[in-house]
Amino acid sequence: MTNEFTLFSLALKNVKRKPFRTCMLIAAIGLLVSAIVFALSFVRRVDSSIKITSERLGADLLIVPTESSGAAEDILLENKAKSFYMDKDIVERVRNIEGVDSLTYQTYLVSITGVCCDVPESIIVAFDQGTDFIIRPWLNKKIGRRLERGEAIVGSESAFNIRLGLTEVDTVLFGNIFKMVGVLDKTGTGLDTAIFIDDNNIADIFKKGKANIKPDQISVIFAKVRSGYDPYKIASQIEGSIIEVDAVARKDIGKSLIYTLRDINRAFTVTLSLASILSIFLVWAVFSAIANERAKEVGIMRAIGAKESHIVMIFCLEVFVIGSIGSILGIISGTAFSLLLTKSFTILKNLSNDLTVTERSFIDVLSFLLGTVICIFGALLPIQRIKKLEPLLAIKEE
Amino acid sequence: MSQIEIAGITKIYTVGELGIKAVDNISLKIEKGESLSIVGHSGSGKTTLLSIIGGLIRPTSGRVLFEGIDVYALDSNSISEYRCNKIGFVFQFASLLPILTVKENLLLPLIFRSAENPRDNSKGNEQKAAELLKMVGLGDRVDAYPSQLSGGQQRRIAIARAFMNDPEIILADEPTGDLDEKTEADMMNFFKFMNEEKGITFIMVTHNMELANKVKRQLKMSNGLIREL
Repeated sequence: MTNEFTLFSLALKNVKRKPFRTCMLIAAIGLLVSAIVFALSFVRRVDSSIKITSERLGADLLIVPTESSGAAEDILLENKAKSFYMDKDIVERVRNIEGVDSLTYQTYLVSITGVCCDVPESIIVAFDQGTDFIIRPWLNKKIGRRLERGEAIVGSESAFNIRLGLTEVDTVLFGNIFKMVGVLDKTGTGLDTAIFIDDNNIADIFKKGKANIKPDQISVIFAKVRSGYDPYKIASQIEGSIIEVDAVARKDIGKSLIYTLRDINRAFTVTLSLASILSIFLVWAVFSAIANERAKEVGIMRAIGAKESHIVMIFCLEVFVIGSIGSILGIISGTAFSLLLTKSFTILKNLSNDLTVTERSFIDVLSFLLGTVICIFGALLPIQRIKKLEPLLAIKEE
Repeated sequence: MSQIEIAGITKIYTVGELGIKAVDNISLKIEKGESLSIVGHSGSGKTTLLSIIGGLIRPTSGRVLFEGIDVYALDSNSISEYRCNKIGFVFQFASLLPILTVKENLLLPLIFRSAENPRDNSKGNEQKAAELLKMVGLGDRVDAYPSQLSGGQQRRIAIARAFMNDPEIILADEPTGDLDEKTEADMMNFFKFMNEEKGITFIMVTHNMELANKVKRQLKMSNGLIREL
């Protein structure tokens, strides 16, 4: 006679007693946790993408043509290929505003396969290497020199699309052949799918006449604000004095997306709260039935020496085992769903930033705790009821 | 001091608005190592009295003193400890847990004790279970489940289980109900042995007068009242 017999082994035997019912309960908890993992991953991913983009821009202000701030955010956050332009002389007008420290500008060109380029639709970013502080730090790290005319460097995602490996390749952009001389590290921003060229190349693109852009036009100005100045005040000053532009403070980048996200978040919260309440009722109903079925056994156990706490422990261990298995399965399926369904959600499809291991672990731990706590919470009332029964009455209860 | 002293115990069950007096102001003293039987018809209150002695159901009034300690003045945990450490129950119905093997059913009272004291010797417990099973003639059924046993075999397992925690008192409610004549005699001999050799107090409830006569002291219960025979 071996194998130690404990309260836990007794609880495990109880779990296995009615396999179908146990499986149904595990499946219900699993589905709930799966939905929690999916929702948290969704919300966290969008949130984190906005945060990273905002932090990595390195600029305090984003200045774009009036009504184009949404389009700029689409490029920066969601990899959407969009073009919008303003006159280049706005750069000097912004520079003259008090409190503006340094600034640089970029021009966005949309590549369309078959019309202008031999790359899938993506954004071509022409930047001014003389003033740039957005791309340069990465550029120095990757190729250690300035980009020459006719050269391009690509974002990490674009590299895959144009089959750029370690060797340099030539790619046609707006009728001009560009040598792809390097791949940038993954930034977690929308610019991961962009192709970067020097601003001087735009003149060549005009000559070929394949881009929908006029000479001396740019898309966006990135500005740093002098220390001691409030970016929001400078932004409103810019908007007040230059009617053709909108100025967005770094902290407001993605605000419209955040508002949308908040609504999605609310919808998730309501749905998950209802699902949680439903799960609590389900666990309550199942454990009420279990408590009734086992009243006599509980009475016998009490009669032969079990304390109320032992009965609670046995039931809680059962609930914990069911909750844990359900939660683990839910975490696995929820993670799989969040990865597989990414392609089905426009908002996620265009976000380049994936969750870090820490973020995923946090979501997993939180979901596990929620699943298990919901399970225990649902079973509490029936457990309380059964533990309070006088042993003889419990024995007589059929 | 008597091992058990029952003083003015009354138990009234409330059914709807009706109060049914199962035990009516009973007082009784039981000495350590005594063996006694309580006979009576169905509904005479004998099972209720046995349950009250065993700490299974709180009396409406009166006291049960175990070695001078008022059992029902104790809190719920202490009453459980009283049942766990001092009492061995044999119920009048199949009282084995169906999901547990014979061995596990026997070890069941001890896991509640070892939950409090994890250093309890599990090897020793298993050995004791094996010995008790041998004594009730079922040494070869340790790994069987109750559903694989006859009613009589289940009863014998339940009898063996009552002795697992080295009780000071055995409370047996119709302990030989499902047994054939020979096994009944074997079990009564087993109880007698444990009572005489180990000094375990034996209190049995039965409606079988013949069986009641096999122990030294007989009491009769009727309508909640008790008298010596």
